[in-house]
Amino acid sequence: MKTGAIAIAALLSLTSLAHADEPENFIKYRQSMMTAIGGHNGAASQILRGKVAPPGHLAMHANALRDLASDLAALFPEGSDFGETKAKAEIWSDWSGFEKAAGDSKTATAAFAEAVAGGDAGNIEAAFKQVGETCKGCHKTYREKDD
Amino acid sequence: MLRWPALVLLAAVSVAQATDGEYLLNAAGCVACHTAEGGRPLAGGRAFVTPYGTFYSPNITPDRETGIGTWSRAQFVAALKHGTSPDGVAYFPVFPYTSYRLMSDQDAGAIHDHLQSLEPYQQQNREHDLAWWLGRWMMKLWQWWNLDPLVPMPVTKDPMINRGRYLVDALGHCGECHTPRNWSGVMVRQSHYLAGSKQGPDGDAVPNITTDRSNGIGKWDADDLQYFLETGALPNGDYAGGLMTDVIDNSTSKLTAADRKAMAAYLKTVPAVATP
Ligand code: HEC
Ligand code: HEC
Ligand code: HEC
Repeated sequence: MKTGAIAIAALLSLTSLAHADEPENFIKYRQSMMTAIGGHNGAASQILRGKVAPPGHLAMHANALRDLASDLAALFPEGSDFGETKAKAEIWSDWSGFEKAAGDSKTATAAFAEAVAGGDAGNIEAAFKQVGETCKGCHKTYREKDD
Repeated sequence: MLRWPALVLLAAVSVAQATDGEYLLNAAGCVACHTAEGGRPLAGGRAFVTPYGTFYSPNITPDRETGIGTWSRAQFVAALKHGTSPDGVAYFPVFPYTSYRLMSDQDAGAIHDHLQSLEPYQQQNREHDLAWWLGRWMMKLWQWWNLDPLVPMPVTKDPMINRGRYLVDALGHCGECHTPRNWSGVMVRQSHYLAGSKQGPDGDAVPNITTDRSNGIGKWDADDLQYFLETGALPNGDYAGGLMTDVIDNSTSKLTAADRKAMAAYLKTVPAVATP
Protein backbone atom coordinates (compact mmCIF):
# COMPACT_ATOMS: atom_id res chain seq x y z
CA MET A 1 0.00 0.00 0.00
CA LYS A 2 2.65 2.40 1.16
CA THR A 3 5.00 1.65 -1.74
CA GLY A 4 2.11 2.12 -4.14
CA ALA A 5 1.43 5.60 -2.76
CA ILE A 6 5.08 6.50 -3.02
CA ALA A 7 5.19 5.25 -6.59
CA ILE A 8 2.18 7.34 -7.51
CA ALA A 9 3.64 10.38 -5.79
CA ALA A 10 6.90 9.85 -7.66
CA LEU A 11 5.04 9.55 -10.93
CA LEU A 12 3.09 12.71 -10.24
CA SER A 13 6.20 14.64 -9.40
CA LEU A 14 7.84 13.33 -12.56
CA THR A 15 5.02 14.67 -14.70
CA SER A 16 5.16 18.02 -12.95
CA LEU A 17 8.92 18.04 -13.45
CA ALA A 18 8.37 17.55 -17.15
CA HIS A 19 6.25 20.72 -17.14
CA ALA A 20 8.75 22.52 -14.95
CA ASP A 21 11.28 22.50 -17.73
CA GLU A 22 9.26 24.63 -20.10
CA PRO A 23 11.35 27.67 -20.95
CA GLU A 24 8.53 30.21 -20.38
CA ASN A 25 8.36 29.16 -16.76
CA PHE A 26 11.84 30.50 -16.32
CA ILE A 27 10.67 34.05 -16.93
CA LYS A 28 8.89 34.44 -13.58
CA TYR A 29 11.55 32.38 -11.84
CA ARG A 30 14.47 34.47 -13.02
CA GLN A 31 12.62 37.69 -12.30
CA SER A 32 12.13 36.46 -8.74
CA MET A 33 15.81 35.57 -8.58
CA MET A 34 16.81 38.99 -9.92
CA THR A 35 14.48 40.69 -7.44
CA ALA A 36 16.17 38.74 -4.66
CA ILE A 37 19.59 39.74 -5.99
CA GLY A 38 18.44 43.35 -6.12
CA GLY A 39 17.18 43.07 -2.54
CA HIS A 40 20.50 41.81 -1.20
CA ASN A 41 22.39 44.33 -3.29
CA GLY A 42 20.25 47.21 -2.00
CA ALA A 43 20.51 45.98 1.58
CA ALA A 44 24.29 45.63 1.32
CA SER A 45 24.53 49.19 0.03
CA GLN A 46 22.51 50.48 3.02
CA ILE A 47 25.05 48.86 5.34
CA LEU A 48 28.08 50.02 3.36
CA ARG A 49 26.76 53.57 3.29
CA GLY A 50 26.59 53.45 7.07
CA LYS A 51 22.82 53.81 7.35
CA VAL A 52 22.40 50.68 9.48
CA ALA A 53 24.83 48.29 11.13
CA PRO A 54 23.11 45.01 12.01
CA PRO A 55 25.89 42.66 13.15
CA GLY A 56 26.72 39.87 10.72
CA HIS A 57 24.32 41.04 8.04
CA LEU A 58 26.86 42.26 5.52
CA ALA A 59 28.33 38.75 5.28
CA MET A 60 24.83 37.34 4.96
CA HIS A 61 24.03 39.58 1.99
CA ALA A 62 27.43 39.07 0.39
CA ASN A 63 27.15 35.29 0.66
CA ALA A 64 23.60 35.37 -0.70
CA LEU A 65 24.73 37.47 -3.67
CA ARG A 66 27.56 35.02 -4.33
CA ASP A 67 25.18 32.05 -4.24
CA LEU A 68 22.38 33.70 -6.22
CA ALA A 69 24.74 34.89 -8.96
CA SER A 70 26.68 31.65 -9.23
CA ASP A 71 24.99 30.55 -12.48
CA LEU A 72 22.89 33.36 -13.95
CA ALA A 73 23.14 32.00 -17.49
CA ALA A 74 21.09 28.96 -16.42
CA LEU A 75 18.12 31.28 -15.80
CA PHE A 76 17.92 32.04 -19.51
CA PRO A 77 17.17 28.81 -21.40
CA GLU A 78 16.63 29.26 -25.12
CA GLY A 79 12.98 30.03 -25.84
CA SER A 80 12.38 31.97 -22.62
CA ASP A 81 11.94 35.22 -24.50
CA PHE A 82 8.18 35.00 -25.02
CA GLY A 83 5.89 36.80 -22.63
CA GLU A 84 6.37 39.41 -19.93
CA THR A 85 10.11 39.65 -20.03
CA LYS A 86 12.74 42.29 -20.59
CA ALA A 87 15.27 39.74 -21.73
CA LYS A 88 16.57 40.86 -25.13
CA ALA A 89 16.97 38.52 -28.10
CA GLU A 90 20.69 39.39 -28.01
CA ILE A 91 21.04 37.02 -25.06
CA TRP A 92 20.63 34.06 -27.37
CA SER A 93 22.09 35.52 -30.55
CA ASP A 94 25.23 36.45 -28.59
CA TRP A 95 25.23 33.61 -26.10
CA SER A 96 28.99 33.59 -25.50
CA GLY A 97 28.93 37.31 -24.69
CA PHE A 98 26.03 36.75 -22.33
CA GLU A 99 27.79 33.85 -20.62
CA LYS A 100 30.79 36.09 -20.14
CA ALA A 101 28.61 38.80 -18.55
CA ALA A 102 27.12 36.17 -16.23
CA GLY A 103 30.62 34.86 -15.45
CA ASP A 104 31.82 38.38 -14.61
CA SER A 105 29.03 38.72 -12.09
CA LYS A 106 29.85 35.32 -10.58
CA THR A 107 33.50 36.34 -10.19
CA ALA A 108 32.64 39.77 -8.78
CA THR A 109 30.10 38.52 -6.24
CA ALA A 110 32.49 35.77 -5.11
CA ALA A 111 35.24 38.36 -4.68
CA PHE A 112 32.85 40.57 -2.72
CA ALA A 113 31.95 37.70 -0.35
CA GLU A 114 35.64 37.02 0.10
CA ALA A 115 36.43 40.69 0.77
CA VAL A 116 33.68 40.84 3.40
CA ALA A 117 35.10 37.71 5.05
CA GLY A 118 38.53 39.38 4.97
CA GLY A 119 37.16 42.48 6.67
CA ASP A 120 39.25 45.21 4.98
CA ALA A 121 36.99 48.22 4.42
CA GLY A 122 38.84 49.43 1.32
CA ASN A 123 38.70 46.00 -0.32
CA ILE A 124 35.05 45.61 0.53
CA GLU A 125 34.12 48.94 -1.01
CA ALA A 126 36.10 48.28 -4.19
CA ALA A 127 34.66 44.77 -4.54
CA PHE A 128 31.12 46.05 -4.04
CA LYS A 129 31.62 48.69 -6.71
CA GLN A 130 32.78 45.95 -9.06
CA VAL A 131 29.63 43.93 -8.39
CA GLY A 132 27.53 46.92 -9.42
CA GLU A 133 29.52 47.33 -12.62
CA THR A 134 28.72 43.76 -13.64
CA CYS A 135 24.98 44.23 -12.98
CA LYS A 136 24.91 47.45 -14.99
CA GLY A 137 27.07 46.00 -17.73
CA CYS A 138 24.77 43.05 -18.37
CA HIS A 139 21.57 45.10 -18.07
CA LYS A 140 22.90 47.67 -20.53
CA THR A 141 23.40 45.11 -23.28
CA TYR A 142 20.88 42.40 -22.56
CA ARG A 143 17.89 43.96 -20.80
CA GLU A 144 15.18 46.06 -22.45
CA LYS A 145 14.72 49.57 -21.19
CA ASP A 146 11.81 50.47 -18.92
CA ASP A 147 8.68 51.63 -20.63
CA MET B 1 14.04 95.23 -11.31
CA LEU B 2 16.70 97.15 -9.48
CA ARG B 3 17.71 94.07 -7.55
CA TRP B 4 18.75 92.13 -10.61
CA PRO B 5 22.35 93.24 -10.91
CA ALA B 6 22.95 92.28 -7.30
CA LEU B 7 21.40 88.88 -7.90
CA VAL B 8 23.49 88.29 -10.99
CA LEU B 9 26.59 89.09 -9.05
CA LEU B 10 25.61 86.76 -6.25
CA ALA B 11 24.87 83.96 -8.67
CA ALA B 12 28.15 84.41 -10.45
CA VAL B 13 30.13 84.32 -7.24
CA SER B 14 28.48 81.58 -5.26
CA VAL B 15 27.37 79.20 -7.92
CA ALA B 16 29.91 79.00 -10.70
CA GLN B 17 32.88 77.93 -8.63
CA ALA B 18 34.74 75.52 -10.81
CA THR B 19 36.67 77.03 -13.67
CA ASP B 20 38.25 73.74 -14.69
CA GLY B 21 36.96 73.31 -18.24
CA GLU B 22 37.22 69.55 -18.30
CA TYR B 23 35.21 69.27 -15.10
CA LEU B 24 32.53 71.55 -16.56
CA LEU B 25 32.49 69.57 -19.80
CA ASN B 26 31.69 66.46 -17.76
CA ALA B 27 29.15 68.20 -15.56
CA ALA B 28 27.37 69.46 -18.69
CA GLY B 29 27.34 66.03 -20.33
CA CYS B 30 28.76 67.21 -23.67
CA VAL B 31 30.75 64.05 -24.32
CA ALA B 32 27.91 61.54 -24.60
CA CYS B 33 26.07 63.62 -27.20
CA HIS B 34 29.09 64.61 -29.24
CA THR B 35 30.56 61.13 -29.57
CA ALA B 36 29.33 58.48 -32.00
CA GLU B 37 29.15 54.92 -30.75
CA GLY B 38 32.69 53.61 -30.83
CA GLY B 39 33.79 56.93 -32.36
CA ARG B 40 36.40 59.49 -31.43
CA PRO B 41 35.34 61.42 -28.31
CA LEU B 42 33.85 64.85 -29.17
CA ALA B 43 34.23 64.36 -32.94
CA GLY B 44 30.43 64.17 -33.29
CA GLY B 45 28.31 61.89 -35.44
CA ARG B 46 25.93 60.54 -32.81
CA ALA B 47 22.43 60.24 -34.27
CA PHE B 48 19.30 61.55 -32.53
CA VAL B 49 16.15 60.06 -33.99
CA THR B 50 13.19 62.35 -33.22
CA PRO B 51 9.74 63.08 -34.64
CA TYR B 52 11.37 66.11 -36.32
CA GLY B 53 13.90 64.00 -38.17
CA THR B 54 17.31 62.53 -37.46
CA PHE B 55 19.93 64.94 -36.15
CA TYR B 56 23.67 64.32 -36.04
CA SER B 57 25.90 66.03 -33.51
CA PRO B 58 28.79 68.00 -35.02
CA ASN B 59 32.53 67.74 -34.43
CA ILE B 60 33.57 69.97 -31.50
CA THR B 61 37.26 69.09 -31.46
CA PRO B 62 39.47 72.05 -32.47
CA ASP B 63 40.00 70.86 -36.03
CA ARG B 64 40.11 74.02 -38.15
CA GLU B 65 38.18 72.59 -41.09
CA THR B 66 35.60 70.22 -39.65
CA GLY B 67 35.54 71.25 -35.99
CA ILE B 68 35.54 74.47 -34.01
CA GLY B 69 39.26 75.27 -34.29
CA THR B 70 38.67 78.74 -35.75
CA TRP B 71 36.02 79.83 -33.25
CA SER B 72 36.56 82.65 -30.80
CA ARG B 73 35.55 82.41 -27.18
CA ALA B 74 32.67 84.84 -27.76
CA GLN B 75 31.37 82.81 -30.71
CA PHE B 76 31.43 79.68 -28.62
CA VAL B 77 29.59 81.32 -25.75
CA ALA B 78 26.96 82.59 -28.20
CA ALA B 79 26.45 79.06 -29.53
CA LEU B 80 26.11 77.57 -26.06
CA LYS B 81 23.92 80.26 -24.51
CA HIS B 82 21.98 81.73 -27.44
CA GLY B 83 21.89 78.85 -29.90
CA THR B 84 23.47 80.99 -32.60
CA SER B 85 26.32 79.89 -34.87
CA PRO B 86 29.29 82.12 -35.81
CA ASP B 87 27.57 82.91 -39.13
CA GLY B 88 24.34 83.82 -37.41
CA VAL B 89 22.37 80.64 -38.05
CA ALA B 90 20.04 79.34 -35.33
CA TYR B 91 20.63 75.87 -33.88
CA PHE B 92 17.97 73.26 -33.33
CA PRO B 93 17.13 72.76 -29.67
CA VAL B 94 18.32 69.12 -29.72
CA PHE B 95 21.46 70.97 -28.73
CA PRO B 96 20.25 71.92 -25.23
CA TYR B 97 21.21 75.60 -25.30
CA THR B 98 17.79 76.21 -23.75
CA SER B 99 19.42 74.97 -20.52
CA TYR B 100 23.01 76.01 -21.14
CA ARG B 101 21.89 79.61 -21.40
CA LEU B 102 21.68 79.54 -17.62
CA MET B 103 25.43 78.91 -17.49
CA SER B 104 27.76 81.75 -16.52
CA ASP B 105 29.83 83.24 -19.36
CA GLN B 106 32.87 82.37 -17.33
CA ASP B 107 32.02 78.66 -17.24
CA ALA B 108 31.04 78.57 -20.92
CA GLY B 109 34.36 80.24 -21.71
CA ALA B 110 36.27 77.72 -19.60
CA ILE B 111 34.67 74.89 -21.60
CA HIS B 112 35.76 76.65 -24.78
CA ASP B 113 39.35 76.94 -23.56
CA HIS B 114 39.40 73.29 -22.61
CA LEU B 115 38.03 72.12 -25.97
CA GLN B 116 40.56 74.27 -27.82
CA SER B 117 43.37 72.64 -25.84
CA LEU B 118 42.48 69.14 -27.07
CA GLU B 119 43.96 67.27 -30.02
CA PRO B 120 42.13 68.33 -33.24
CA TYR B 121 40.43 65.50 -35.08
CA GLN B 122 39.28 65.75 -38.65
CA GLN B 123 35.84 64.30 -39.25
CA GLN B 124 33.28 65.81 -41.58
CA ASN B 125 29.91 66.68 -40.03
CA ARG B 126 26.93 64.75 -41.24
CA GLU B 127 23.88 66.62 -42.57
CA HIS B 128 20.70 66.29 -40.53
CA ASP B 129 17.92 64.28 -42.08
CA LEU B 130 14.99 66.62 -41.30
CA ALA B 131 11.27 66.04 -41.56
CA TRP B 132 10.07 67.45 -44.91
CA TRP B 133 8.28 70.40 -43.35
CA LEU B 134 11.13 71.51 -41.13
CA GLY B 135 13.78 74.03 -42.12
CA ARG B 136 16.61 75.57 -40.15
CA TRP B 137 15.28 79.07 -40.88
CA MET B 138 12.27 78.25 -38.69
CA MET B 139 14.55 78.01 -35.68
CA LYS B 140 15.05 81.76 -35.63
CA LEU B 141 11.31 82.13 -35.18
CA TRP B 142 11.23 79.30 -32.68
CA GLN B 143 13.95 80.99 -30.64
CA TRP B 144 12.22 84.34 -30.89
CA TRP B 145 9.02 82.83 -29.48
CA ASN B 146 10.41 80.35 -27.05
CA LEU B 147 13.80 81.26 -25.71
CA ASP B 148 13.48 82.62 -22.18
CA PRO B 149 15.09 85.98 -21.58
CA LEU B 150 18.43 85.73 -19.86
CA VAL B 151 17.29 86.20 -16.29
CA PRO B 152 19.43 85.18 -13.35
CA MET B 153 18.59 81.93 -11.60
CA PRO B 154 16.66 82.29 -8.38
CA VAL B 155 19.02 82.46 -5.43
CA THR B 156 18.34 81.22 -1.92
CA LYS B 157 20.26 81.89 1.27
CA ASP B 158 21.80 78.42 1.17
CA PRO B 159 24.85 78.34 -1.14
CA MET B 160 24.65 74.55 -1.41
CA ILE B 161 21.10 74.73 -2.79
CA ASN B 162 22.17 77.42 -5.25
CA ARG B 163 25.09 75.36 -6.44
CA GLY B 164 22.83 72.29 -6.73
CA ARG B 165 20.32 74.19 -8.81
CA TYR B 166 23.05 75.45 -11.12
CA LEU B 167 24.38 71.91 -11.58
CA VAL B 168 20.91 70.48 -12.23
CA ASP B 169 19.46 73.22 -14.45
CA ALA B 170 22.36 74.91 -16.21
CA LEU B 171 25.06 72.24 -16.51
CA GLY B 172 23.33 68.88 -16.04
CA HIS B 173 20.30 69.99 -18.12
CA CYS B 174 18.25 67.34 -16.30
CA GLY B 175 15.01 69.02 -17.35
CA GLU B 176 15.73 68.49 -21.04
CA CYS B 177 14.70 64.88 -20.47
CA HIS B 178 12.78 64.95 -17.19
CA THR B 179 10.49 67.93 -17.92
CA PRO B 180 7.62 67.31 -20.37
CA ARG B 181 7.41 69.43 -23.54
CA ASN B 182 4.48 71.17 -25.17
CA TRP B 183 3.44 70.81 -28.81
CA SER B 184 6.25 73.02 -30.04
CA GLY B 185 8.95 71.17 -28.14
CA VAL B 186 9.28 73.69 -25.31
CA MET B 187 9.84 72.44 -21.76
CA VAL B 188 6.80 73.10 -19.58
CA ARG B 189 8.93 74.44 -16.75
CA GLN B 190 6.30 76.58 -15.05
CA SER B 191 3.84 73.85 -14.16
CA HIS B 192 5.65 70.55 -14.68
CA TYR B 193 9.29 71.14 -13.88
CA LEU B 194 11.03 67.70 -13.67
CA ALA B 195 7.64 65.94 -13.52
CA GLY B 196 8.57 63.29 -16.10
CA SER B 197 7.89 62.93 -19.79
CA LYS B 198 5.96 60.34 -21.76
CA GLN B 199 8.40 60.71 -24.60
CA GLY B 200 12.05 61.33 -23.88
CA PRO B 201 14.77 61.94 -26.46
CA ASP B 202 14.80 58.31 -27.61
CA GLY B 203 11.02 57.90 -27.54
CA ASP B 204 10.94 56.11 -24.17
CA ALA B 205 9.29 57.57 -21.10
CA VAL B 206 11.41 59.47 -18.57
CA PRO B 207 10.47 59.25 -14.88
CA ASN B 208 9.23 62.00 -12.60
CA ILE B 209 12.03 63.25 -10.32
CA THR B 210 10.07 65.79 -8.29
CA THR B 211 9.50 65.13 -4.59
CA ASP B 212 6.07 63.65 -5.35
CA ARG B 213 5.83 60.58 -3.14
CA SER B 214 3.87 58.31 -5.47
CA ASN B 215 5.06 59.41 -8.93
CA GLY B 216 8.43 60.89 -8.17
CA ILE B 217 11.33 60.35 -5.84
CA GLY B 218 9.74 61.78 -2.69
CA LYS B 219 10.54 58.58 -0.81
CA TRP B 220 14.24 58.78 -1.59
CA ASP B 221 16.37 60.62 0.93
CA ALA B 222 19.16 62.96 -0.12
CA ASP B 223 21.70 60.22 0.50
CA ASP B 224 19.86 57.79 -1.83
CA LEU B 225 19.95 60.46 -4.52
CA GLN B 226 23.59 61.22 -4.03
CA TYR B 227 24.44 57.53 -4.19
CA PHE B 228 22.31 57.15 -7.31
CA LEU B 229 24.13 59.99 -9.07
CA GLU B 230 27.43 58.32 -8.20
CA THR B 231 26.61 54.71 -9.05
CA GLY B 232 23.26 54.48 -10.84
CA ALA B 233 21.92 52.23 -8.06
CA LEU B 234 18.25 52.64 -7.22
CA PRO B 235 17.06 52.26 -3.62
CA ASN B 236 15.60 48.83 -4.48
CA GLY B 237 19.01 47.46 -5.48
CA ASP B 238 18.36 47.61 -9.22
CA TYR B 239 20.20 50.00 -11.55
CA ALA B 240 18.91 52.71 -13.85
CA GLY B 241 19.11 51.89 -17.54
CA GLY B 242 18.38 53.69 -20.78
CA LEU B 243 19.72 57.17 -21.40
CA MET B 244 20.30 57.73 -17.70
CA THR B 245 23.28 55.35 -17.87
CA ASP B 246 25.05 57.86 -20.13
CA VAL B 247 24.29 60.67 -17.72
CA ILE B 248 25.72 58.73 -14.79
CA ASP B 249 28.73 57.24 -16.55
CA ASN B 250 29.80 60.39 -18.41
CA SER B 251 28.63 63.08 -16.08
CA THR B 252 27.40 62.73 -12.50
CA SER B 253 29.80 59.92 -11.48
CA LYS B 254 32.68 62.22 -12.46
CA LEU B 255 31.66 65.10 -10.20
CA THR B 256 32.97 65.77 -6.72
CA ALA B 257 31.03 64.29 -3.82
CA ALA B 258 30.30 67.86 -2.68
CA ASP B 259 28.65 68.67 -6.02
CA ARG B 260 26.56 65.49 -5.97
CA LYS B 261 25.51 66.37 -2.46
CA ALA B 262 24.47 69.84 -3.61
CA MET B 263 22.42 68.37 -6.48
CA ALA B 264 20.67 65.97 -4.13
CA ALA B 265 19.97 68.75 -1.63
CA TYR B 266 18.51 70.93 -4.37
CA LEU B 267 16.37 68.13 -5.84
CA LYS B 268 14.87 67.59 -2.38
CA THR B 269 13.54 71.17 -2.56
CA VAL B 270 11.76 70.72 -5.91
CA PRO B 271 7.97 70.95 -5.38
CA ALA B 272 6.02 67.72 -5.80
CA VAL B 273 4.09 67.55 -9.07
CA ALA B 274 2.23 64.51 -10.38
CA THR B 275 3.38 63.07 -13.70
CA PRO B 276 1.36 64.70 -16.53
C1 HEC C 1 24.24 38.13 -17.17
C2 HEC C 1 23.30 39.24 -17.20
C3 HEC C 1 22.82 39.85 -15.90
C4 HEC C 1 23.55 40.11 -14.77
C5 HEC C 1 25.03 39.86 -14.52
C6 HEC C 1 22.63 40.72 -13.84
N1 HEC C 1 21.38 40.81 -14.38
FE1 HEC C 1 19.73 41.56 -13.46
N2 HEC C 1 18.62 41.15 -15.13
C7 HEC C 1 19.11 40.63 -16.31
C8 HEC C 1 18.03 40.50 -17.26
C9 HEC C 1 18.15 40.00 -18.69
C10 HEC C 1 16.86 40.95 -16.61
C11 HEC C 1 15.43 40.96 -17.19
C12 HEC C 1 14.81 39.60 -16.87
C13 HEC C 1 13.40 39.45 -17.41
O1 HEC C 1 12.64 40.44 -17.44
O2 HEC C 1 13.06 38.32 -17.77
C14 HEC C 1 17.28 41.37 -15.27
C15 HEC C 1 16.42 41.88 -14.30
C16 HEC C 1 16.81 42.40 -13.08
C17 HEC C 1 15.92 43.01 -12.11
C18 HEC C 1 14.42 43.24 -12.29
C19 HEC C 1 13.63 42.03 -11.83
C20 HEC C 1 12.14 42.19 -12.13
O3 HEC C 1 11.65 41.57 -13.07
O4 HEC C 1 11.50 42.99 -11.44
C21 HEC C 1 16.68 43.36 -11.01
C22 HEC C 1 16.19 44.03 -9.73
C23 HEC C 1 18.05 42.97 -11.30
N3 HEC C 1 18.09 42.37 -12.56
C24 HEC C 1 19.12 43.16 -10.45
C25 HEC C 1 20.41 42.75 -10.72
C26 HEC C 1 21.55 42.99 -9.85
C27 HEC C 1 21.50 43.76 -8.54
C28 HEC C 1 22.63 42.41 -10.44
C29 HEC C 1 24.07 42.38 -9.97
C30 HEC C 1 24.33 41.80 -8.69
C31 HEC C 1 22.17 41.82 -11.69
N4 HEC C 1 20.83 42.04 -11.83
C32 HEC C 1 23.01 41.14 -12.58
C33 HEC C 1 20.41 40.27 -16.57
C34 HEC C 1 21.45 40.31 -15.65
C1 HEC D 1 21.51 66.27 -26.13
C2 HEC D 1 22.68 66.21 -26.95
C3 HEC D 1 23.70 67.34 -26.86
C4 HEC D 1 24.35 67.81 -25.75
C5 HEC D 1 24.15 67.37 -24.29
C6 HEC D 1 25.29 68.79 -26.22
N1 HEC D 1 25.19 68.94 -27.56
FE1 HEC D 1 26.26 70.24 -28.70
N2 HEC D 1 25.04 69.84 -30.27
C7 HEC D 1 24.15 68.80 -30.35
C8 HEC D 1 23.52 68.78 -31.66
C9 HEC D 1 22.50 67.77 -32.17
C10 HEC D 1 24.06 69.90 -32.37
C11 HEC D 1 23.70 70.36 -33.77
C12 HEC D 1 22.65 71.46 -33.69
C13 HEC D 1 22.23 72.02 -35.03
O1 HEC D 1 22.76 71.56 -36.05
O2 HEC D 1 21.36 72.90 -35.07
C14 HEC D 1 25.03 70.51 -31.46
C15 HEC D 1 25.80 71.63 -31.78
C16 HEC D 1 26.86 72.09 -31.01
C17 HEC D 1 27.79 73.12 -31.43
C18 HEC D 1 27.80 73.84 -32.76
C19 HEC D 1 28.88 73.25 -33.62
C20 HEC D 1 28.91 73.74 -35.02
O3 HEC D 1 29.73 73.21 -35.79
O4 HEC D 1 28.14 74.62 -35.39
C21 HEC D 1 28.68 73.30 -30.40
C22 HEC D 1 29.85 74.25 -30.36
C23 HEC D 1 28.30 72.38 -29.35
N3 HEC D 1 27.20 71.67 -29.76
C24 HEC D 1 28.98 72.26 -28.16
C25 HEC D 1 28.46 71.56 -27.06
C26 HEC D 1 29.01 71.63 -25.73
C27 HEC D 1 30.24 72.41 -25.33
C28 HEC D 1 28.20 70.88 -24.95
C29 HEC D 1 28.28 70.70 -23.43
C30 HEC D 1 28.28 71.93 -22.68
C31 HEC D 1 27.17 70.30 -25.80
N4 HEC D 1 27.37 70.74 -27.09
C32 HEC D 1 26.18 69.45 -25.38
C33 HEC D 1 23.84 67.92 -29.33
C34 HEC D 1 24.23 68.08 -28.01
C1 HEC E 1 19.25 62.16 -21.82
C2 HEC E 1 18.08 62.16 -20.98
C3 HEC E 1 18.28 62.33 -19.48
C4 HEC E 1 18.98 63.31 -18.83
C5 HEC E 1 19.76 64.48 -19.42
C6 HEC E 1 18.82 63.05 -17.41
N1 HEC E 1 18.05 61.92 -17.21
FE1 HEC E 1 17.60 61.07 -15.41
N2 HEC E 1 16.67 59.53 -16.35
C7 HEC E 1 16.49 59.43 -17.73
C8 HEC E 1 15.81 58.17 -18.02
C9 HEC E 1 15.42 57.67 -19.40
C10 HEC E 1 15.60 57.53 -16.77
C11 HEC E 1 14.96 56.16 -16.55
C12 HEC E 1 16.07 55.15 -16.51
C13 HEC E 1 15.58 53.71 -16.52
O1 HEC E 1 14.77 53.38 -17.39
O2 HEC E 1 16.03 52.93 -15.68
C14 HEC E 1 16.14 58.43 -15.75
C15 HEC E 1 16.11 58.16 -14.39
C16 HEC E 1 16.51 59.06 -13.39
C17 HEC E 1 16.31 58.86 -11.97
C18 HEC E 1 15.66 57.64 -11.32
C19 HEC E 1 14.20 57.88 -11.16
C20 HEC E 1 13.43 56.66 -10.78
O3 HEC E 1 12.34 56.83 -10.21
O4 HEC E 1 13.86 55.54 -11.09
C21 HEC E 1 16.81 59.97 -11.34
C22 HEC E 1 16.82 60.25 -9.84
C23 HEC E 1 17.32 60.86 -12.36
N3 HEC E 1 17.12 60.27 -13.61
C24 HEC E 1 17.91 62.08 -12.12
C25 HEC E 1 18.52 62.86 -13.10
C26 HEC E 1 19.29 64.05 -12.84
C27 HEC E 1 19.56 64.64 -11.47
C28 HEC E 1 19.72 64.51 -14.04
C29 HEC E 1 20.61 65.72 -14.33
C30 HEC E 1 21.96 65.60 -13.83
C31 HEC E 1 19.19 63.64 -15.07
N4 HEC E 1 18.46 62.64 -14.46
C32 HEC E 1 19.39 63.82 -16.43
C33 HEC E 1 16.89 60.34 -18.69
C34 HEC E 1 17.70 61.45 -18.46
